[in-house]
Amino acid sequence: MGRQRLLLGLILGLVAISLLVLLRLPTRLGLDLQGGSQLTILVKPTETVKQITERELEAVQRVIEGRVNGLGVSEPLVQTVGNNQILVQLPGVNDPQQAERVLGGTAQLDFRKQKVGTETQLQIENQLRQELLVKQAELRKTGDAKAIAENQAALKRSNEAIAALYERTDLTGKNLKDAFAEPANAANAWSVGLKFDTQGGESFAQLTKDLAGTGRTLGIFLDNELISSPVVGVEFAQTGITGGNAVITGRFTAEEANDLAIQLRGGALPVPVEVAENRTVGATLGLDSIQRSIYAALFGLALVLIYMLLYYRLPGLIADIALVFYAIFTLAAFNLLGVTLTLPGIAGFILSIGMAVDANVLIFERTREELRAGKTLYRSVEAGFYRAFSSILDSNVTTLIACGALFWLGAGLVRGFALTLALGVTISMFTAITCSRTLLLVALSFPELRKPEWFCPNLSSKTPSQAEEATP
Amino acid sequence: MKLEVIKQRQLWWFVSSALILVSIIFMGISWQQIGTPLRPSLDFVGGTRLQLELDCSKPNNCDQPIDIAKVRDIMAAEGHGNSSIQILGQEQQALSIRTSPLSPDERGRLQAVLSEKIGAFDPAKTQIDTVGPIIGKQLFTSGLLALVVSFVGITVYLSLRFQLDYAVFAIVALFHDVLVTVGIFAILGVLFGTEVDSLFIVALLTIVGFSVNDTVVIYDRIRETIALKPDRHIDEVVDSAVNQTLSRSINTTLTVLLTLCSIYFFGGETLKNFALALIIGFTMGAYSSIFIASTLLALWRERTGQVYGTALPATSSAEGQMSASPSKEA
Repeated sequence: MGRQRLLLGLILGLVAISLLVLLRLPTRLGLDLQGGSQLTILVKPTETVKQITERELEAVQRVIEGRVNGLGVSEPLVQTVGNNQILVQLPGVNDPQQAERVLGGTAQLDFRKQKVGTETQLQIENQLRQELLVKQAELRKTGDAKAIAENQAALKRSNEAIAALYERTDLTGKNLKDAFAEPANAANAWSVGLKFDTQGGESFAQLTKDLAGTGRTLGIFLDNELISSPVVGVEFAQTGITGGNAVITGRFTAEEANDLAIQLRGGALPVPVEVAENRTVGATLGLDSIQRSIYAALFGLALVLIYMLLYYRLPGLIADIALVFYAIFTLAAFNLLGVTLTLPGIAGFILSIGMAVDANVLIFERTREELRAGKTLYRSVEAGFYRAFSSILDSNVTTLIACGALFWLGAGLVRGFALTLALGVTISMFTAITCSRTLLLVALSFPELRKPEWFCPNLSSKTPSQAEEATP
Repeated sequence: MKLEVIKQRQLWWFVSSALILVSIIFMGISWQQIGTPLRPSLDFVGGTRLQLELDCSKPNNCDQPIDIAKVRDIMAAEGHGNSSIQILGQEQQALSIRTSPLSPDERGRLQAVLSEKIGAFDPAKTQIDTVGPIIGKQLFTSGLLALVVSFVGITVYLSLRFQLDYAVFAIVALFHDVLVTVGIFAILGVLFGTEVDSLFIVALLTIVGFSVNDTVVIYDRIRETIALKPDRHIDEVVDSAVNQTLSRSINTTLTVLLTLCSIYFFGGETLKNFALALIIGFTMGAYSSIFIASTLLALWRERTGQVYGTALPATSSAEGQMSASPSKEA
């Protein structure tokens, strides 16, 4: 019995830890539950860019990130999906129209010339912008939506003020062939290399010639926002930077240089992007869904608990306890693994409650058969667990195969369902077999619980009485 | 209760054939009407669905229910005459509109006109779904592919686990379950305009994963009985295997159906059809395992002269695990 006691302690310990996890770690809710807007952005190939590769998708993603940050939403998420899509999640956005307008459309990269006599002004504006950016990063952590929006408005004004200090030239992203981070001569410093096409090289030479040695900067703008403002050395005053190649030096870290290069590449790409999918759920509707799901889960759980107790009696009660443990473990696993709960995900969880008892049903049916065949109680229980195992394994493997196919091939919401169902099925193997077996064996160690009629009704009289041999 | 599945097998085969025939007929009718066997939602064909609800915190905004004729006029005037419009909610204050895919500007204009003429809508109760045709096609093909992959995966697993004929009939039963579920949604689509979305494909996949279980359990028992008593007639073996596992089959399906009914009644509009598909599929799954998969196997064994189980190969890997040798303590 010592081993059972040990297992029982282990299980109770796990329950305690799971409860702690549930209380301490927040449950991550999908946009369909907390309300918000999810946009899928399609990157389309063109005549010049026939195939969207990983490098291009990364560049476009960076552009989209820049635009998303410009929206001033708290906790936005931008990620690539497949080989030509970018998924944008905007929690709390009820009216995505502005977002859709801003996020669609080809990136606009252009090179501008600082106006004469604006040097001090630019310095002040840049200083102000830096402060606002730092503040924005801090606000993002707090998630104060209103303050973020206000700060974003200030940032927008600041960006416009900076843009007003520059004049446009005819050099745009179209003329930029490539941009890449490269190690500079100085130790640990990186720079960004630029490569222009022929026409771009000429425009760039003219532009740099005008600016060289004046102290005025060359403004590189992505979607009307200044991303880099290098000065041109006096040594280029005669000819400008010729040959179509240039290097932006500065005290860049490798990461900073790479980030700027990606932004430049993204701006140079002539690929149009289009909002191809929009799923927006109002916050109140989301809240409604959460409430309904909780009702559905509780009601479903209660029905299964009652049914098991009525049909299987004492083992049913044990299965019920195991099932409650199951629910606690599974929810804790969701929080621990950072699973984002969506509405189909919750459906998967509720469904798995019904499936989780399947193993117990198999075991208890076997136990009853053994009892009817005249075996002793203890041996019937053991045989029930022993013989039902392969059937239990089969049923779970087939469900996991279907979940695997869904998770591997499915999109968004569908994957949430597959994940929660698969997690549930796996955890149920533990609770329905190990937990209920341990609990049942512990229960059998009390002589007053060793009543076969509590396991199987209508046992004929030939059944051996509860006179058990000594349990090991 | 004792079922005599073998005796009544003609009846069950007739019932199933009739179900499948009706399913195919309705898919054909649906094909005639709209060009697809099931009515696809915008998930698969692209489109915009707008769900709006009046903001009742504003004075006089919710005085009367939304007039569907008025909405229809507005939609026609805006050039969306062929959209489908539904009034929702107990107080008839919510509106659901489905159109061809709208650009953000088009949608914005439509929302503005609607709120001007109908009343102010509550943005926190708005739901927007826009799916472009490309994404729609992608959702459809990936869903279908997932279905095929899981069918193949389960066939492979069952063939490794059982002899080939068991695996084949388990798959036949599975096809039966999926076909009837699809058929019932074809009927619902023709009669009530019920649409199938990506969650429907999820439901089919779940049915595939779950309903094969009952079949596996019954087959497991048939194999075990044959190994124990090779001199029994296959019909007898099948009958007793079905009856021995009957309460398990019923109880497992019942507990799952309990949770599904709970989702159906309390889970909200989005999950309603999903739960319904699963309820149909799981019920069919239990039915086909008990009445179809078992009797087909018996018929096959009779026809191929394997009525008695002496020829059982000892190669099956799981045999050692499942053999009904007395437990070790005995």
